[in-house]
Amino acid sequence: MKPVSFEYFAPTSVADAVSLLQEHGPEAKLLAGGQSLVPLLNMRLARPTAVIDVNRVEGLDYVREDGDALAIGAMTHQRTVERSELVQRVNPLLHAATRLIGHPQIRNRGTVGGSIAHADPAAEYPAVALALDAEMRIVGPNAERLVPAADFFVTYLTTALEPTEMLTEVRVPALPQGTGWSIQEMTRRHGDFALAGAAVTLTMDGGACSDARIVLFGVGATPLRVQQAEERLVGERVDATLMSEVGREIKTSIDEPLADIHATSEYRRNLAGVLTERALVEALERAA
Amino acid sequence: MAFEFPKSLDDLPVSKVKWVGKPVNRVEDPQLVTGKTEFIDNVTLPGMLHCAILHSPHAHARIKSIDMSRAAALPGVVTTLTGEDAERWTRPMYTTPQGWGGYVLATDRVRFVGEPVAAVAATSRYIAEDALELIDVEYEPIDPIVDAFAAAQPDSPKVFEDHDDNIMYQRIFTWGEVEEAFQKADHVYKESFRWNRVGANPLETFGIISEWDIVEDSLTCRGSFQTPSFMAMGRAATFRLPSNKVRFIAQPHGGSFGGKGGGRGTDITLMLSRKAGGRPVKWIEDRMEYLSSGGSQAWDRHYDVSIAVKDDGTVTALRVKLLDDMGATAEGFGATGAVKPMASFTGCYAIPAAEYDLTLVATNKLPVSPYRGMGPPPHNFVLEQMMDIAARDLDLDPAEIRRRNFIPADQFPYIIASGNEYDSGEYEAALDKVLEMAGYEDLRREQEEARAEGRLVGIGVVSTIEPGVFDWNAYTVIGTAGIGIPEGVTVAIDTMGKITARVGFALEGQGQYTVITQLLAEYFGTELEDVRVVHVDNLSAPPNFGPGGSRLGVAITGAVLGAAQRLTEKLTKVAAKMFEVQPEDIELLDGMLRVKKVPESQLSVRNVAAIMLNRSDMLPPDVDPSPQATFAWTAPDRVEPDEQGRVKSYLTAANACHLVMVEIDPGTGKVEILKYYIADDCGTRLNPANVEGMIQGALAQGVGAALLEEYVYDDDGQLLTASFMDYLLPTIHEVPFPEKAALVTPSPFTPLGAKGAGESAIHTTPAAIMCAINDALLPLGVRAKEVPASPNRLWKLIQGASDQ
Ligand SMILES: Cc1cc2nc3c(=O)[nH]c(=O)nc-3n(C[C@H](O)[C@H](O)[C@H](O)COP(=O)(O)OP(=O)(O)OC[C@H]3O[C@@H](n4cnc5c(N)ncnc54)[C@H](O)[C@@H]3O)c2cc1C
Repeated sequence: MKPVSFEYFAPTSVADAVSLLQEHGPEAKLLAGGQSLVPLLNMRLARPTAVIDVNRVEGLDYVREDGDALAIGAMTHQRTVERSELVQRVNPLLHAATRLIGHPQIRNRGTVGGSIAHADPAAEYPAVALALDAEMRIVGPNAERLVPAADFFVTYLTTALEPTEMLTEVRVPALPQGTGWSIQEMTRRHGDFALAGAAVTLTMDGGACSDARIVLFGVGATPLRVQQAEERLVGERVDATLMSEVGREIKTSIDEPLADIHATSEYRRNLAGVLTERALVEALERAA
Repeated sequence: MAFEFPKSLDDLPVSKVKWVGKPVNRVEDPQLVTGKTEFIDNVTLPGMLHCAILHSPHAHARIKSIDMSRAAALPGVVTTLTGEDAERWTRPMYTTPQGWGGYVLATDRVRFVGEPVAAVAATSRYIAEDALELIDVEYEPIDPIVDAFAAAQPDSPKVFEDHDDNIMYQRIFTWGEVEEAFQKADHVYKESFRWNRVGANPLETFGIISEWDIVEDSLTCRGSFQTPSFMAMGRAATFRLPSNKVRFIAQPHGGSFGGKGGGRGTDITLMLSRKAGGRPVKWIEDRMEYLSSGGSQAWDRHYDVSIAVKDDGTVTALRVKLLDDMGATAEGFGATGAVKPMASFTGCYAIPAAEYDLTLVATNKLPVSPYRGMGPPPHNFVLEQMMDIAARDLDLDPAEIRRRNFIPADQFPYIIASGNEYDSGEYEAALDKVLEMAGYEDLRREQEEARAEGRLVGIGVVSTIEPGVFDWNAYTVIGTAGIGIPEGVTVAIDTMGKITARVGFALEGQGQYTVITQLLAEYFGTELEDVRVVHVDNLSAPPNFGPGGSRLGVAITGAVLGAAQRLTEKLTKVAAKMFEVQPEDIELLDGMLRVKKVPESQLSVRNVAAIMLNRSDMLPPDVDPSPQATFAWTAPDRVEPDEQGRVKSYLTAANACHLVMVEIDPGTGKVEILKYYIADDCGTRLNPANVEGMIQGALAQGVGAALLEEYVYDDDGQLLTASFMDYLLPTIHEVPFPEKAALVTPSPFTPLGAKGAGESAIHTTPAAIMCAINDALLPLGVRAKEVPASPNRLWKLIQGASDQ
């Protein structure tokens, strides 16, 4: 379990990091918290010729309020987000999702940008980013662009990032006052990647649902927004029967999820439905 | 000379016991918690090379060719190794049963994914691993034999061409009038069970540094050896070397649980060192190697079980048919796991007749290794499910059916149907204790209320035996040799009165050095700081085996007390001369040698030892100037088994009763442990804190086996759980901290009455959790028969129930 040999760089600015990416092409890899990349290197599943360690890049470690959104630097440790009172106040869903990532040891090193750029289909951050309409700030050799979450996650471990680009910031709109939220997941053990999960927001207006978001994770190649189910809720008085129906429909409507040794497709479908229903129940309780 | 061992703490030569039986802090811990303990990977020797091993990617294939030339040419690579070297220099691996193995590196065929095929030694592990990618092996894949049932068919393709079939061992043991009991039974219950592969996962994997002195053809190995002297003998045999030229130095290691056999890594590094002109060669098994090709896997079992029961719940006979999937070879003593259940076949129960229909079958998977508990945990799982099945049908409470079948406390020592002798026990008292701690009736009420709400809540109550003090005689049926396992210690007192104990085994985590320290400080009336325990290599140590089979605590206690007594005899002669009395007139008490009835005529042990070393003029003629003594202990009265394999094998029978309450989430199938209680009786507790640690750790492994851990192979024989991403060990979040009670029924057979307690809760926990799960599922009319009870499996069962 030793990596193949590679060249190591430790730039101190985004511009230097990006020009190193340009210089070394697709064979280069950025190293953030290393919680996903280093195991891949050691198992020789990733074989980059250059590793560009961006831990010394300045100015990417922050959580701040920016208008109606939270702006989070890509190199902000997950632990920082977890401990941020600001995040807890402005976006309790993001906060709750953070606590579900691995263990404190993992969150001490793992970064917000690393998790989103890695785009594991079972990861919490990508799901929450999609549920909350987050935007990714991406810096490339010539330009900077903002990509909405809906366009960012392309497929399994693949995002809209070009090989020469770096993710620098994640902008997460604040959860509107009175919006209920919940994130539910099923893991074999505390801290494991989810076998399946659901992140939900629910806005109620005068007894009826005015807006709903349902995003599943762990059941497809990317986080999966289930618009059909959202539409079943909007305009309705949400009650136990409806939430249970929505859960049941999800079990049959989503594309066949991947099977692995911990979960068959059938079981994952079931989890998606069960967890969605539970998330809706909790979100409804929280909705003002 | 027959030795009289102190039978209880009261027999120790002190007016008030100060150390033994107390939860003293472990002497091992300061070094461990400050990071000073020298594990093998911390050791670097001058000129040392690093080994990397190429493992087979195929479950079954012919090796058409191996070309090492590109690897050998890589700068930094010093030498390479293939099966040809192994054929030239070694004997085939020792196996039990015999004849089911090959060489440590594959020669013509590979038989499991992960089998070592070639190796390199280079100046760094990085380079060594780079070199592996340059080895060109041409394989011709053969259909793998993965399913145990298919493998056991007479017309199955074969794992070994030179055998008629894949049956490594097959035998039916019959004990008592089994057939008759089944004919006369009021009820017969039958069920099939599946226990999937689990195994040992110590924090530290196997590691070694080997040196082959090419001038005198002698070997020195340093490593994380569980049984260094035994390993050394094995190497002498493997390499046809005089045994006194093989030196094994065990480093302290981070656990073993049976997983540190390490034979292949040892022989491979030795041959590499030989080829590299004697340079030391280090190999640290990485976690993926450990999981896919090391000592990580055990107990891959298919059971058919039946019991004969009377109307009142009395069990009159037990039949167990076991198909045990051994993997590709019989190396590494994995087969012992199928034999050990004979030492506690009928559990805590007075079941007069039993039958064991045992088949060991070869498949193209990693050979199984020993694992803590050595085989009974799956057996206990099936036996305890059967007890509950009978209880349900007869409308008896699970606690009650057990009570009715327990061996009564006044029947000990008790010989069970399969031949082993239980030394002592109070099974009903342990059960009562657990029921009382748990508030059993209230718990049952709580369960009723939960059931009324549609919740799946269940309670398991299980009692088991931990056979302690392993002896080779138990395993002669599968071809092991010998009776007895000497465990020795040399105890020395120096001029300053300080005591040193020299043993052949290294630190592994169980705290035996602490127990030795307690015993010697007690015996000679010193402080704990006055005693030091050191590991010495196999050529310096008295006969020894090391930890294994829940044996060392008892064995080393016997050895220490024997050596202390021998040493005291010497000291007594010297003191007698000083006081001009006969040795019989001298006694040892509280660290003083004194003339009986004349308390003011006394000398300290320290002074007498100093006199022996420094005043030859004061020595009696028959005493040499050496305040040291060696003693090796082995279990008394062991003999060969009879024609049905019956034998007094394990000297002690500890008992535990567990009560666990679980809840299953019907939506996800996930099990939550709500409550857990344990009453444990392992006789005299030499260090109660050590015992608690053993229980807690073994409980964790039991939770893992019941709910999480499973080595999964696909139909091609590929391992799908080669990392801790997929092989799920329980973490601190999954393991409950039960309320624990200690009962003490001393063993009449051991020094101080202690029983083997090193395997502990792993015997009980999986059975108890599975009983609780099945109790929870009862209202649905379905039964969990497969371990681990993963969420997916339980969900499927629950689905099946609601589909009906
Ligand atoms: C035991 C364990 C349990 C875990 N459990 C969970 C869990 O439950 N949920 C979960 O979501 N995650 C989990 N993780 C993963 C963890 O959250 C990682 O932190 C995360 O996936 C990657 O973040 P990182 O900062 O460590 O990135 P790295 O590992 O350094 O990088 C990951 C990938 O992202 C790329 N990358 C990193 N930063 C950038 C950037 N700024 N711009 C462009 N590309 C970039 C890298 O090149 C690499 O390809 C777990 C990890 C471990 C080891």
